[in-house]
Amino acid sequence: MSRRTRRAAEPDPAAFPTRPYDLLKEFTIALVAVAVLTAGLAALFSSPDEQPITLATWSAATPNDFTATAVTELGGTSTTAQYGPPYNHTPGAGQKIGPVGLQRAAGVRIPVDTAEDFVLRPLRQAPEPAEVSAALTAWTAAPADRQQAWTSAYSDALGKAPDGDPAKVEPGDYGPVPVLTSRLLALAQAGALDGQLLAQGRFYQTDYTRPMLFLNDGTYLADQARAQHLAGDQWGMMNETGNYPGQAWLWLYTFWYQIDPFKTSKNADALIWALMAVLSLAFVLVPFIPGVRSIPRWTKVYRLIWRQHYRGQR
Amino acid sequence: MAVEMAYSELAAPVDLNHPGHYVHWGVVQISVANLVVIGLMVLVFVAAVLLPFPKGRGRR
Repeated sequence: MSRRTRRAAEPDPAAFPTRPYDLLKEFTIALVAVAVLTAGLAALFSSPDEQPITLATWSAATPNDFTATAVTELGGTSTTAQYGPPYNHTPGAGQKIGPVGLQRAAGVRIPVDTAEDFVLRPLRQAPEPAEVSAALTAWTAAPADRQQAWTSAYSDALGKAPDGDPAKVEPGDYGPVPVLTSRLLALAQAGALDGQLLAQGRFYQTDYTRPMLFLNDGTYLADQARAQHLAGDQWGMMNETGNYPGQAWLWLYTFWYQIDPFKTSKNADALIWALMAVLSLAFVLVPFIPGVRSIPRWTKVYRLIWRQHYRGQR
Repeated sequence: MAVEMAYSELAAPVDLNHPGHYVHWGVVQISVANLVVIGLMVLVFVAAVLLPFPKGRGRR
């Protein structure tokens, strides 16, 4: 009964003043204005024109970094090798939200064996010099702990060599590792490794996961990104290369990476994703959140927009 | 040579492919290009609020 009384008390919408409004005209003007602006700005400023970073450019620019990274791929100590799901089953790896291991729950969807996929298979697939064939045979015949000892010793030796230069490494028991990584470097510099890591048995090769993972395990890509202010701790998510504007609307997402506890957390990606999901949901539900939904009434911006109407009411 | 000439004719009048300029303010780090775009967006918002509605024909 009371509900019916309230409904009856609502004012008649037809009693309000109206104004003509041509939606099609507004749409057309907006479309033409945006099209002219887009074409004009593109002609004036063009677009970012960075050269692609490939395994070939990396191995040519910093061969010592490439070799050091190849050793970690072979020994299973690179970032990718120890990343956990979706690439491998590294115990304890993967980000969590509280007790929930999101990466582990999704499982290993893109299996990557860094030694086999990044080093051994490309070497086997390329025409092999006799010493590389012998090195591959020696590596395959050795037990896992022997392989680990070789890569660990060679990694340490590279770290101590001037500039990490393989040519200046102290003599030691590195097994076939120097031969394998030296040949891989030659393949990469020739551009062959890029093609081999892309090849997945399909006609069109569009999956750059493996070359990207290999690139990311070295320091070259990270150094290039940092120089362009694209690193995570540089608000990189909202930046673009050169002097171009970037994704300014991602300011809140990238902001969390700059402050504690996120910037020092191993689970930063998962935690920030969850936080942004909660905030996005809250944004969608603004009309239902008491207090927040009243902000337009308090700020009275609507009175500024419809000032002529409210002036007439005085 | 001809290709180079064609490229230079097609080059944009304003070349932004140079190292970016950044403003640092405490934990905040933002590119000048992003600041300009944000400033323009604020300007468009203020203009949209303050500019009077166009007076169309037949308006009451």
